[in-house]
Amino acid sequence: MIVGIKNASKLIVISIIACCAVLVCTMFLNFYFDVRLIESEITSELSMVFYNAQVSTAKVVCFVSGGCLLLTAVVMLLFYIKHYIDTHKKELGILKALGYSNIKIAKSFWAFGISTFIGTAIGYAGAFFIMPWFYELQNEDKMLPEITLNFHPSILFYFVVLPTVCFSALSVYYAWYKLKKPVLLLLKDNLQVVSKPPKHRTEKNRELSFIEDLKRSTLKSKKTLVFFIVFASFCFSAMTQMSFSMKDLSSEMMGVMMLVIGLVLAFTTLFLAITTVINGNTKTIAMMRVFGYSQKECCRAILGGYRPLSYIGFIIGTVYQYGLLRLMVDIVFKDMESVPAYKFDVSVMPISLIAFIAIYEILMYIYSEKIKKISIKEIMIE
Amino acid sequence: MIKVRDILKSYGNGESRFQVLKGVSLDIEDNDFVVILGASGSGKSTFLNVISGLERPDSGKVFYDGKDITALSDNEVTLFRKANVGFIFQQYYLLPNMNVDKNVKMGADLADNKDYKTVIEAVGLGEKLHKYPSELSGGEQQRVSIARALAKRPRILFLDEPTGALDEETGRQVLDYICKLQKEYDFTIILVTHNLNIAEMANTVIKMNSGKISEIYTNETKKTAYEIGW
Repeated sequence: MIVGIKNASKLIVISIIACCAVLVCTMFLNFYFDVRLIESEITSELSMVFYNAQVSTAKVVCFVSGGCLLLTAVVMLLFYIKHYIDTHKKELGILKALGYSNIKIAKSFWAFGISTFIGTAIGYAGAFFIMPWFYELQNEDKMLPEITLNFHPSILFYFVVLPTVCFSALSVYYAWYKLKKPVLLLLKDNLQVVSKPPKHRTEKNRELSFIEDLKRSTLKSKKTLVFFIVFASFCFSAMTQMSFSMKDLSSEMMGVMMLVIGLVLAFTTLFLAITTVINGNTKTIAMMRVFGYSQKECCRAILGGYRPLSYIGFIIGTVYQYGLLRLMVDIVFKDMESVPAYKFDVSVMPISLIAFIAIYEILMYIYSEKIKKISIKEIMIE
Repeated sequence: MIKVRDILKSYGNGESRFQVLKGVSLDIEDNDFVVILGASGSGKSTFLNVISGLERPDSGKVFYDGKDITALSDNEVTLFRKANVGFIFQQYYLLPNMNVDKNVKMGADLADNKDYKTVIEAVGLGEKLHKYPSELSGGEQQRVSIARALAKRPRILFLDEPTGALDEETGRQVLDYICKLQKEYDFTIILVTHNLNIAEMANTVIKMNSGKISEIYTNETKKTAYEIGW
């Protein structure tokens, strides 16, 4: 087997994202199905308004969280397969040279779907574990009749079976697509870079130092990582701020859940992105160290370019959480009298920003220590 | 002047411990052209790494103008390399996403060398400033790595099998460039190779065998890259 379970285990980030997405979506969708069953039992107008708000909330959360996390998981899967092929292209090239067909090699990539299965299964089981508590909280004021927790096989199919099959199929298809390269391109290192015609360079660009040039080149060479860094800071910003801003709108449990999901997503995505950046630039860092560039200069060239992007992600996350809560209050809960008016929490934002900067800089420090340990041997072991 | 005294270096632990350098001592004069000859496994590359400050010996000292670099901290050794040393490797190790100009700038910026394009001209790549490594031949890529090393104006240039991945004609061209540039820029060359004929281009030849220096001799008449066999 070309791609084994061991390789799939490295996709833990996808498992975590799938787990978070399925956990949230299962809870709300299961609740949505169950709450729909009691619609005929609702008699008062106030209860109907509350019922409609609960149904709308479940739909919005399912679409927004599920959609956003599904998209991220797909991007991550494609990124990881591309990264896997790039780093194992010599071995794959040898297999092709020996006569293995693209589809035969690509078929083994189905194993990447296992990570999705693990994540979705844990998320689904976790949702059922939390759901009794969740149902109780959703109907804390007893405005609705008793909501019974039911098992809906369609949710198991749509959130566990279908994603696993789809992700496995997508893995095989994308691997097959990426493997459609001539054998020589896979075997030879130097041929990996597509010849680019020299672009018109402005005088200002020409005067950039090597460190600045390398910083730009690192950013441009892996655009998906830019997305991940922005996404990680977006998650941190949106989820932490939302968890505190929602204290008047939702239960404490929801706030804690959101905070935990936000932190887990932010950390795992940042971890994946920065590890990939450093692993992908090991040779460059080793050469810089050989030539006499300091650890600080190496860090600035390789990781420095991502800092402004992480702040952009934080700003987008702030705007997003504000927009989403505004939408919930103005549209979903518009007919409910007891819902307090939503205002942007100015005290949460700076605290969240300071926490983000502290965590980001600690991570950068840890990785700069990793850079320090990269030696000439890293490039000589080939 | 470089003075190397009683260098011991081994790899591995316990029973798998392997002694690579077994008490190597040597003096190298400024602006000398030294070739270190030896078969695969003789310890010549490890010796090059130790005297250039890339690796620390288990014991022994390496003096540059009386200063022992084995006693320096990691940061100080980095600063030493930044100020004094240039490297050329068999596999070039160019940055694939950067063009010729930017690859050479990697070395030039360390010496604040604004005039680095003259070095690119000197290795005959003036017309290929904006080409990427993937668009260059092996010989051209090695010339870029020569320009990158020299753009930082090193006092000592270390070369580890610089022609190992090149054909005969291209190898000669590369060696010829290095010799011409040494006359122009005045630096010490320490070149590691297993090719006996390249030794005829050097002033001093050091033969290594099983982690020790077995012979040192001086060439009375140096040959050019085009006069040696391959």
